[in-house]
Amino acid sequence: MSLAYDIIPVTLVTGFLGSGKSTLLADVLTGDAARDTAVLVNEFGEVGLDHLLMGEVDTQTVLLDNGCVCCSIRGELKDALAGLFSKRARGDVPPFSRVVIETTGLATPAPIIATLLADLVIRSHYELKVTITVVDALNADAQRARYPEWLAQISATDRIMISKGDLTTAPHIDALKQSLRTINPFAEIVERNSSPDALRELLFKPARFAPDSVQSVCEIGAGTVRLGKGGGRLAHRVDFERSDIVSSCIRIEDPLDWQVFTLWFTMLLNRHGDKILRVKGLLALEGADRPAVLHAVQHLVHPVLHLEEWPDASRASTLVFITEGLDGAVIEASYRRFCAALKVAA
Amino acid sequence: MCGLLGGGNHWSNTTAPGAGAGSQNARRQRLLQAALANRILIPLRLRLDDFHGQSFVLSSPTGASEMVGDFAQVWKVAERMLGRALDPLTLFQVDEEEHA
Repeated sequence: MSLAYDIIPVTLVTGFLGSGKSTLLADVLTGDAARDTAVLVNEFGEVGLDHLLMGEVDTQTVLLDNGCVCCSIRGELKDALAGLFSKRARGDVPPFSRVVIETTGLATPAPIIATLLADLVIRSHYELKVTITVVDALNADAQRARYPEWLAQISATDRIMISKGDLTTAPHIDALKQSLRTINPFAEIVERNSSPDALRELLFKPARFAPDSVQSVCEIGAGTVRLGKGGGRLAHRVDFERSDIVSSCIRIEDPLDWQVFTLWFTMLLNRHGDKILRVKGLLALEGADRPAVLHAVQHLVHPVLHLEEWPDASRASTLVFITEGLDGAVIEASYRRFCAALKVAA
Repeated sequence: MCGLLGGGNHWSNTTAPGAGAGSQNARRQRLLQAALANRILIPLRLRLDDFHGQSFVLSSPTGASEMVGDFAQVWKVAERMLGRALDPLTLFQVDEEEHA
């Protein structure tokens, strides 16, 4: 194993205060499972994670020169990850093969994802495999109504783990799952009542893009979630009168021109990235046989990948936007105008 | 040096994913992308040029020019040079109304 050139998988664990993130890690990372896992936490929990390599992350925020506040890079996280990698390469710590980052309950995930995706040093050594959000079944409704951070955590995640399900009723859990699906139709929703081995698998299993998830969202239809008055604009926590989260589906029959699409999408994220919580799309590009997968969280776009094959006979591009205070029809009209103006068929 | 450090590694700088080996090469795609951007920028009296396949240079009629790494930056700097927002939701709306 060449320590210097390894790219280490990272699991990001978020969840509101008291949702049970530390307890989950303590249950899962015991014995041999903890041996090759490094855990970074930016809060002190009551639960001891004795067997783990612990790193405390202080509060310090550095502004990325190409981003707004929600792309601000967490400098202390970067330093902690870079330091951990150096220690591993020098042999000062055991050669861990994966990293878990546990955020504070009040953290919005976007700056952390930005650090992992955008920082040159960090992305050379670490790769974000999955974002997991722990949701407290008992307090989810109250947290959703009052804290925009809760919504940011749900909308940015790949996998939702419902905790404290044993303290409430099955119909309540079903209703909670339904509302979580409306906010983030792409996330896999699981309950925490599995065995430690199953939980461990859920903690480390990479998020997989399911192409049919984009299409099924479109078939079910766009939804609107109305929040309580406390719902604010997510990344900045500024009071925002229209606090509706809407998921909208855009279908484009003709193949996309990649250059035109990137110009339009970068311009859209530059101006409206703070209102665009999540975008997932399956793109049919001109000259390509296979579909490309677009995945964005606020201003951040994950590296664009392509799938081996189309999920069905349809060859249309499908984009799902989860937005706050931004209408999908307006976004679609903007794209079509953009294509027409640049003399490319939409 | 930018190539060494991966300066051009923004997602918008990549070539069309899934395009085969016989398709347009990366440099040509980049020049096309800059030319398309100029269809937006030149009417606003700004101009974008490729710089060694790694960065872009955005210039204004007052002689100001700034090197930018990717399109997320291009629009941000263009807005600063123009002193106003470039909103894709309203861009070209007037053109469409005139043609209607």
